[in-house]
Amino acid sequence: MVMTAPLLFSQSMGLLLAVILGIFFGSFLERGGLGNPHKLTGVFYFTDFSVPKVMFTAIIVAATGLYLLSDVKLLDFDRIWIVPTFFWPQLVGGALFGAGFVFSGYCPGTAVAGFASGRIDALVTLVGIGAGSFVFAFLYPYIEGFYISTPMERATLPKVIGVGHWVVIGAVYAMAAGMFYLMERYERAH
Amino acid sequence: MKGNNFWSPYIAGIGLGLTLLATFVITGWGLGASSAFSLLAGVGINKVDPEYARSLKYFSQYLNVEAPLMNWILFEIIGLFLGALVASLVAGNFRLKLDKVTRMKGATRVLTAFGGGILIGFASRLARGCTSGIGLSGGAELTIAGWVFVVAMFISGFIVAALFRRLWS
Repeated sequence: MVMTAPLLFSQSMGLLLAVILGIFFGSFLERGGLGNPHKLTGVFYFTDFSVPKVMFTAIIVAATGLYLLSDVKLLDFDRIWIVPTFFWPQLVGGALFGAGFVFSGYCPGTAVAGFASGRIDALVTLVGIGAGSFVFAFLYPYIEGFYISTPMERATLPKVIGVGHWVVIGAVYAMAAGMFYLMERYERAH
Repeated sequence: MKGNNFWSPYIAGIGLGLTLLATFVITGWGLGASSAFSLLAGVGINKVDPEYARSLKYFSQYLNVEAPLMNWILFEIIGLFLGALVASLVAGNFRLKLDKVTRMKGATRVLTAFGGGILIGFASRLARGCTSGIGLSGGAELTIAGWVFVVAMFISGFIVAALFRRLWS
């Protein structure tokens, strides 16, 4: 039998791998400048486009790899945890998140990178994230109805639009290429 | 700018994308971040007042397991911290400071950092993840979740930045 991903390991092995993958995650964030709140918020003030450049490059690389490995049957998509869609909670959550991102200058992973590079304000943000999680847990009985509303389970763009996944990935490539071109031009002009 | 010796964002993005792909291939799930702090909040409250912690239905998912701290995302966050620490030290980027725009008062910065954090913590739970767990992981899987979250985040970020120009400029 051919080995198919995901490989999955025992718990202790899994936790060791978590630290190792985390080390790569953290070094690429820091080296990409994403531990720095001025660079992190730059996109929203049109001064620095590191966030969308790093983010969409990473999405493209991982999406291409995932669907390529699945097409050649080296990866079994049915055993991959697909981020479940709950349309309205995620739209409202994304909007609140964007506001918190601009105010604090970080998101959770980048706040850890910011704290690791000596930023006290990033530690304050991390404490705030813990406090915000508690606020959610405290209010949960009142918002549970909204939290579980509009479920779409394992909905993906290719399935919902009804096209092949390479059509969508191609569109993401085109969108990213256009965006990167405009950002580079804008950065050179300013 | 002193200490600004970052890599090209495209190179960092390729590295991050390959890390995310490796995580999917090895574990079957993606990268995450925000739930580690929700877990720590739940475990912390459980230490102070176990009865109250158990009354919070949302936190039961963390507390009803044998060893709550033996958690994949928490260990990944420990790695993230170590990786960023070593990277910033090696690059000479490590500076102990309260990072803000020059004319902002220190106390104001603590408030924006903490208040923004509360919003992020709440929003991540409502959306079931953050820029890593939903944006990157869900985005790469081409899920509706990932793309709805990312588009909403950017639109809201542009609006809030336009309303509060002095935060970062």
